[in-house]
Amino acid sequence: MSNNKQTNILILDDEPIVGKRLKPSLEKKGYLVETFTESLEALKRIREHNFDIVITDLKMEGIDGMQFLSEVKERSPRTEVIVITGFATMETAKESFQKGVFDFLAKPFKLGEITEVIRKAESKQQNI
Amino acid sequence: MMMQRFSDWIKQRIPGYTRRSTTLPFSMLFSRFQEILALNNQVLETIAGANDKLSGDYVFDQHYIHVTCGQLIEMVQKLINNLDVIAPGKYPDLNRSFQEIESEIRATLAGKMHGPESEFVIPYKMITKDLSETVGGKNANLGELKTYLGTTIPNGFAISCSAFWAFMEYNGLEPYIKKITDAWLDGSLELEPASKQITEKILAGRLPARLEKELAKAISNLAGNSKERDLFLAVRSSALGEDSKLTFAGQYLSLINEPAANLRKAYIMVLASAYSSTAMEYRRRKGFKEVEVAMAVACQKMAKPKASGVMYTLDPLNPEKDTMLLSATWGLGGPVVSGRATADHFVVDRTSPHRGLEVKVVRKESMLTGLPQGGTGLRPVEEELQTSPALNNGQITRLAATGLAIEKYFNRPQDIEFAVSETGEITILQSRQLTVRPHKTPHAAELADLSARYPVIFRDRGVIAQRGIASGPVFLVRNEDDLKDFPVGSILVTRLASPLLAKVIMKASAIITDVGSATGHLATIAREFRVPALFDTGIGTTELSQGREITLDAEENVIYQGVVKELCYYNLVEDSIEETFEYRLLRRVLKKIEPLRLLDPSEQNFTARNCRSLHDITRFIHEKAVDALIDLNYYQHHDLKTMAGKLKWDIPLDLVMIDIGGGLCKPTAQPAVIVPEDICSVPMQSLLKGLKHPGAWDNEPMSVDFGSFMSSLTRTSPAELSSPRQIGQNLAVISKEYANVSLRLGYHFTMIDSYISANLNDNYAYFRFFGGVTDLNRRSRRAKFLGEVLAHYDFRVELHGDLVVARLKKLDEHSMRQRLYLLGLLVGFTRQLDVKMISEGQVDVYVKKLKNLLEENHEQ
Repeated sequence: MSNNKQTNILILDDEPIVGKRLKPSLEKKGYLVETFTESLEALKRIREHNFDIVITDLKMEGIDGMQFLSEVKERSPRTEVIVITGFATMETAKESFQKGVFDFLAKPFKLGEITEVIRKAESKQQNI
Repeated sequence: MMMQRFSDWIKQRIPGYTRRSTTLPFSMLFSRFQEILALNNQVLETIAGANDKLSGDYVFDQHYIHVTCGQLIEMVQKLINNLDVIAPGKYPDLNRSFQEIESEIRATLAGKMHGPESEFVIPYKMITKDLSETVGGKNANLGELKTYLGTTIPNGFAISCSAFWAFMEYNGLEPYIKKITDAWLDGSLELEPASKQITEKILAGRLPARLEKELAKAISNLAGNSKERDLFLAVRSSALGEDSKLTFAGQYLSLINEPAANLRKAYIMVLASAYSSTAMEYRRRKGFKEVEVAMAVACQKMAKPKASGVMYTLDPLNPEKDTMLLSATWGLGGPVVSGRATADHFVVDRTSPHRGLEVKVVRKESMLTGLPQGGTGLRPVEEELQTSPALNNGQITRLAATGLAIEKYFNRPQDIEFAVSETGEITILQSRQLTVRPHKTPHAAELADLSARYPVIFRDRGVIAQRGIASGPVFLVRNEDDLKDFPVGSILVTRLASPLLAKVIMKASAIITDVGSATGHLATIAREFRVPALFDTGIGTTELSQGREITLDAEENVIYQGVVKELCYYNLVEDSIEETFEYRLLRRVLKKIEPLRLLDPSEQNFTARNCRSLHDITRFIHEKAVDALIDLNYYQHHDLKTMAGKLKWDIPLDLVMIDIGGGLCKPTAQPAVIVPEDICSVPMQSLLKGLKHPGAWDNEPMSVDFGSFMSSLTRTSPAELSSPRQIGQNLAVISKEYANVSLRLGYHFTMIDSYISANLNDNYAYFRFFGGVTDLNRRSRRAKFLGEVLAHYDFRVELHGDLVVARLKKLDEHSMRQRLYLLGLLVGFTRQLDVKMISEGQVDVYVKKLKNLLEENHEQ
């Protein structure tokens, strides 16, 4: 990373494989990563800590992703939220963007695609 | 979709059809036919997409697998319905085949492990890695070592998972076990009573008659010329998932030196051990699902070893020391394996010649041996042997080399059980993944700044064909001879990703090539054996010199100078993503979806009943839909609004044409003979002109245009082209502005759908190309060639392995005609091309050649 501070990323997806796949891959690129499969636990975590980037699924048990990302943006407007979902529709994409989501990726996606989106989110934050 | 739009248009063009028979009007048949073509394409693309997900480069979840299977099932159901409209009631077996496949897919998705049906008993010599879901990991690993590395393994056979399921069904155990495990998992039943109830029920079970029979035969075969009562067996568990990431070490039962007559009882005891309380708890802790439990069993002929032991190919607690650990004792190895007895210990250098670094010889007063009546017992060791090491230096060196070869092969450190005979011969009894737990767990984050600490030779060059990390000395392969002495564990560096390399791929730590594609045959094999592979670097052979130690990081695409220990240890300790449940599940369902067995319609097995995968059904329906349309409109012409005839031409296309309005210049008698001059269909005209382009169709490779460079590529006559039956019955449905062409040439399937008029907004062309019987490598190259040419001429191209789909729309009439001309030329040209695509470099040559040809021959 060019700057000294490591970028903090929280990943929330109720299917464990998503975090399991992303965490080591992002850590190797120098990111600090925390993964969650339970939305309520993730919610607890974002209430005690502001992340630079939050990656979340939309459809989960417990509270749903839309609610979760709303709370993230309310608490920390500078946090960039990236939505990953297997139920991609125009409506959900639109709603996500209205709520200030940075980008929207339909699952499955390539590792390269999400790292690209993360990089863009970082540079947006650095430019502000 | 474009084709749908066109069928609406046809319906308007053929109004007021008067019924002559019970058959539907052509407009309706044709719209169904078009739907079949469209669905066919969607199915192929979806399958190819699902296969791509296994490369390790995607993040996908169970939701994706379920959705994809659901979509495929729905599409294939629609295909069947459409065919039934075109050919009512003609293929009742298709529904049966479909229902069977569908229920297998749904059962697999629900987690049921009823995998491939197989024999109940499979001899070791028949076992390859493809059978791991049939015979379990332990058996499959041994079979693979024998097949691919030539390792000595015990003589024996596997009792398959099919036998396990048959046993469970025969004794009505499945619902019983499910009820109890569910109760245990939701907390309403304690572990111990749950385990006890299941185990007792299994032990009371009886073998199905077929299994009894197969076992008797296997025992008699194994005994050979000696008496069956002299045959003693080791009966070991070989459960699904055992020996992969979850080692289940010591969880299941192994019975040593069982008399062959006791095999039935021993078998049931091993099955019952699947539900020991420790095994159940282990599965729960590791997230291994109860429905995934399937117990195959290994039956190995007992030998009388002089010494036995265990080898760890890497010190699991101190991997950074780069040593291997061996323990051994006299006689049978049971006490060493279970850690109950003291044994001699050897610490050995992992680097050849595997120097002994530490030796600890203990006093071995007794040894475990097979008893004459079966079972094992302790016997005193002769005084002078008690303090001698159980392995000599030569044996240690050979064991170490074998162990490392096995480690390289499986790409993971191994926990190996071995035996040494009186004559010093080494036999591998079992090999499974070793769990490495270093004191200091490497962390991915520590790898973030590696390139600052280690010299990078090059990075971000080429394409990753298989992810992974490997280190070792470079071994340059310049020609086939070099493959003969390929040193195990080296990194293979070569110019071309040739399929010849498949011979040594299991010995290589990694493969780096100058040229090659991630969709080629070699990539497929690298993926199968999980050998990290980086292709198309352009500079591999020039930058990497013989013998140089390097580390390939085919995750981040970097090649480092020297051994990057952090990366290597991280790789050995990190969980392999391919072993996750999602990968297992996707691989499992794809086995019921992807394999294409129905290749040649002229073969007897090309029947609805023989369809074993969704791909088979899709293929079958396409073929039969073309037949049905030709049959209804050419052989038994019934629709007055259409005309049908066979094309008479220099090129033996065997093409039936159905004209639905203005496609032929003048009306003809039925059934007609059509000559190219009769055709007024704009897209069809251009297509045929392209096919007739000099050199495009020649059966003789030495044509004026191509002879000079083709002759340098191949001297063999392509047998694939010589047989007349290889050109199938082909169909074109045409009108003045429209052509829909289904071609089967050899084993290639081409579909072209195009509309060309003065109004450029209506114009489009769609091209799909698929198939061939040459190896996947050449087919993929041909696909790449087609892709490059089509993209150059403005098509939007999608490539999935050997499937090419290209679309184009809204060009003016002149440009559209040129594109159809190009398609015609490509159809003819590629027909002979895949047999010649012997190397990756040829793709560029052909692309250039074809572009030149088109520039020189401005059509129209």
